[in-house]
Amino acid sequence: MKGKNLDTAWVSALSIATLLVAGYLYFHYFTPEWKGHQAEFRNMVEQRFGPARAAQVPSGIQQVWIPQLNRTDRCVTCHLGVEWKGLERAPEPYRSHPKGILEKHPVARYGCTTCHGGQGYAVTAEAAHATEIQHWESPVLGKQMARMYSVSNRLALLETHCNACHRYERETKGLEYINHARQLVRDKGCRACHAINGRGGVIGPNLTRIGEQSAEQYEYSRLSGRQSVFAWHLAHFKNPKQMAAESVMPNFNFGSKDSQALTLLVMSWKPNDYPPEYLPGLKFGDFPTQEEIEKEQRMLSGEGAFFVKKGCFICHEVSSLGIESAAKIGPDLALAVTDVQSRFGVTVDDFIKRPTGTMAVVLATQIQLTDAEKAEVIQKLQLAYQRKREQAATAAPSAK
Amino acid sequence: MDTTKTRSTGKEVWRRLTWTWSPAGSREAGDSVVRNFILHWFPAKVSLPSLSYGYSFWLGTVSAVLFLILSLTGMILMFLYVPSVERAYQSVKDIEFVVSFGWFLRGLHRIAAHLMVAVVFLHMVRVFLTAAYRNGAGANQARPLNWIIGVTLLLATFLLSFTGYLLPWDQLAFWAITVGTNIASAAPLVGEKIRFLLLGGNTIDQNALLRFYVLHCFFLPVLVLFLFCWHMWRVRKDGGLACVDHLALSQKKEPAAPVKAKTYSLLGLARGRTVHVETALVDEDRYTVDSSPNLTRRLLVATLATMLVCSLLTIAVPTPLEEAANPKVTPNPAKAPWYFLWLQELVTITTVQLGDFTINGALIGGILVPGILVALACAWPFLDRSSPAAVGVWLARERRRQNLVFLIIVAAVVILTIVGTFMRGPYWKFFWPWQAWPDVPVHF
Repeated sequence: MKGKNLDTAWVSALSIATLLVAGYLYFHYFTPEWKGHQAEFRNMVEQRFGPARAAQVPSGIQQVWIPQLNRTDRCVTCHLGVEWKGLERAPEPYRSHPKGILEKHPVARYGCTTCHGGQGYAVTAEAAHATEIQHWESPVLGKQMARMYSVSNRLALLETHCNACHRYERETKGLEYINHARQLVRDKGCRACHAINGRGGVIGPNLTRIGEQSAEQYEYSRLSGRQSVFAWHLAHFKNPKQMAAESVMPNFNFGSKDSQALTLLVMSWKPNDYPPEYLPGLKFGDFPTQEEIEKEQRMLSGEGAFFVKKGCFICHEVSSLGIESAAKIGPDLALAVTDVQSRFGVTVDDFIKRPTGTMAVVLATQIQLTDAEKAEVIQKLQLAYQRKREQAATAAPSAK
Repeated sequence: MDTTKTRSTGKEVWRRLTWTWSPAGSREAGDSVVRNFILHWFPAKVSLPSLSYGYSFWLGTVSAVLFLILSLTGMILMFLYVPSVERAYQSVKDIEFVVSFGWFLRGLHRIAAHLMVAVVFLHMVRVFLTAAYRNGAGANQARPLNWIIGVTLLLATFLLSFTGYLLPWDQLAFWAITVGTNIASAAPLVGEKIRFLLLGGNTIDQNALLRFYVLHCFFLPVLVLFLFCWHMWRVRKDGGLACVDHLALSQKKEPAAPVKAKTYSLLGLARGRTVHVETALVDEDRYTVDSSPNLTRRLLVATLATMLVCSLLTIAVPTPLEEAANPKVTPNPAKAPWYFLWLQELVTITTVQLGDFTINGALIGGILVPGILVALACAWPFLDRSSPAAVGVWLARERRRQNLVFLIIVAAVVILTIVGTFMRGPYWKFFWPWQAWPDVPVHF
C-alpha cells in the first residue's frame, strides 16, 4: 500500500512531537517561578547567616491556611523572609515584614491577603499580585496602585483592608487616612442623609454595605481615565454632581487627601464573614441595662467598692455599705465579724488569713488577695459591721 | 545479491524496532483482528476509500479519541474537584495553581470538550453531505437508525459540555447556565418544570451544582459510551462506511475479464460476462487492505494527531477562570456557552415588540427552531428520495438541492455562533471585530 510508509512516518513524527510536548510539560513542572526565588533566598541566608540557617529554609509550595477567614495564602512560597529577623533591608520578595504590625497581626492568624489584597491561591507573581490580570477583584494594594492613584502615602490604600475588621472602632492607631475619613463623616454630618451601621437619614443611599457593590454597578460615562470603583468615588467626592447629575449631595469641596480617605473608608464598608474575635470594637453579648450600669457605678464609687472590684459581691451582699448581690449564695458580709465567729469559731482576722471550707477554695483560686488586700478586707469588714450597728441604732428608736 | 540481503535485513531490524509485531500475511492480520477485544470492532479487511483521509476526514474517530481524552482527564479531575458551592471554585483554583500538571489536565479537558462539540457537529455535516445516513447496496442495513443514534450523540455531547460548564462555579459558568436554563424554560407547558428538575429548585445553587455534576460525571458519559458502542456496532452491521456501498455499486460498471469459474449454468453460456463477474468484489485485493496494520496504524495517526493538537492548544490558549460565581452581579454581556450562542442570537432576533404585543423570542429561537431542526434531522433519512447511487458520494449531483439547503442552515448556525461569540458586546450590542469593546470596570 502506497500510504503505508507515509503513515508510518506520520506515526513517528506525531510520536516525537507528543514526546516533545511531554518534555515541555515536565520542564515547566520542574522549573516554576517560585523555585528560583527559594534557591535565591537560600543562597542569601547562607551568605548572611551560615549554612545551618540556610538548611531551615523550607522548600516546595508554602501556604497559610485560615479557614475562619476563608484564606489560603501561598504568598509565603516566595516571600520567605516575612517572619525572619535580620532581613529588614533585604530586597523583595525576601524582606522581613515590619515588626510592630506583625506582632499584633501574626501571619498564622491573619494570612497575607487579608491585609494586602492579591490572589492568595496563586504561585506566580503576576497572578498573585493581580494588578495586571483580569478576573481577580482584589489586587495587591502596594506602591504600584498608590502611584496610579497619586496617593502620597504608599501604604494608605491598605487601610481599606484594615477597616474591614476595624470598622466598628471610632479611632484606630496607625490608620491615618481612615481616621481622617471617620472624622470627616462626623464633622460633615454624613449621617444626616445616609444610614451607616444602622443609624442615619434616608435621603441618600444606605452606606453600610456600599463597599460590596460591584464595579459593573457604577455609571462611568462621565468618568475619564481608568474605570474603577476607586476612581468613581474619588471623582464623586470631589464633585458629586459631576458623577451623578441628579444627585442632591452637596459639594463639600473635599481636597485630594479627603477624597482618597473617604473613598478608602466607603470601599471598606462591606459585609464579611470574619468571626467576631477578628472584629475589635464590635461587642457581642448580653449587655447590662442602663439601670444595672448605674447601680454598678454607684456600688463602685461608695465605701464598699472593694467588694465589687474583687468580685465578692457575686455571692455576698454587704447590706450596710449598699452592696447588693444578684446571687446571694453566701451570707451578708455586714455581719461577718460576728457571723464568722459563730460559724467557724475564729475571728474574721484569722479566717481571712487561714480560710476553711468553700472560702478556702475561693480565696485560693478565683479571688487571690495580697497581704495588703487581706488587711484591707479585714478593715472593710469591720467598717461594714460598725455601719450595721449604727444603722440598727438609728433604726431602733424610730421603730419604737 | 548481498546488498539486497543486507538491505532486507536492515529493513527487518528497523521493522522490529519500530513495531513490536506486525502480521506476516493476510491470515495473521485477520486473526489479530478477531482475537483482539478492541480490534474486533474492525473487519479483517478494510476498503481503501474507507481508509482515506479525504472521504470521512476521520471525524468520527477524532470524536471518539476526544471522548477518550475527556474520560481520562475527567476521571483524574474527579479526584481533585469538590462539587460544593463553598469549595468548587477554590478546588479549581487549586487545580490551576498547585496540583501537579493540574492546569494542563483542566485545560486539556476544556479544549477537548470544545473540540468534541465542534468535531461531532462536523461529523454530522460530513454524513449528511455524503448521504451516509441512507441504506445502499448491502443487506440488512439500518443506516437511518444509526443516523438517529448519531443525532442523539450530538445532543448528548451538547448536554455533557453544558453540564460541565457550570462546575468551575465562576461568573462565566454561573451566568452561562442562567442564560441556557432560562432559554429551556421557554418551552411551552413543561419548560418551567424542566428548569426546576434540572436545577433542583428555582435558582442555581448547591442542588443545581450537584445535579449537573452527577449528570456530567456519570449519567451522560455512560449514555454516550452506550450510544457510541451501538453506533460502532451499527457501522459494522451496515457494511462499513457508506463509501463501500458506492464502491460496490460502481464496480458493476467496470468491464472485467471473465472469471474462471466452474459454472455450467445456462447463464454461463450467455454472451459477455458471467453472473460471477457481476458480483461486487469489494474484498478484492486491489480495493482492500488488511485492517491490521493498515487501519490500526491510521487510527494511531488520528489518535496521536488529536492528542497533539489538543495538547498544543492547551498550552497556547489559557483556560479562563473568572471571579467566583456571584448571583448578585450579572456580567455584561452574559452569554450562553458558545455552541448555544446561535440560539441566544436567534432569541434576540426573534424577540420583537409590536406595540403592546411582544413576540416571545425564547420560544421561537430557543425552542421551536432547534426543536424543528432536530425533528427534521431525525426524519430526513425517510424523506430523502435520492437513488442508492448517491450514497457515500460527496455532494452528489442528484442531492444538490437538499445539500444546498442543509449547507445554508449550517452556514446560518455557524454565522450566528460567530456573531454571538465575537461580535456581541455589553448590552448585547453589535461590535465589528475591529471595534474595541468598552473597558471592563474594576474595583481598583
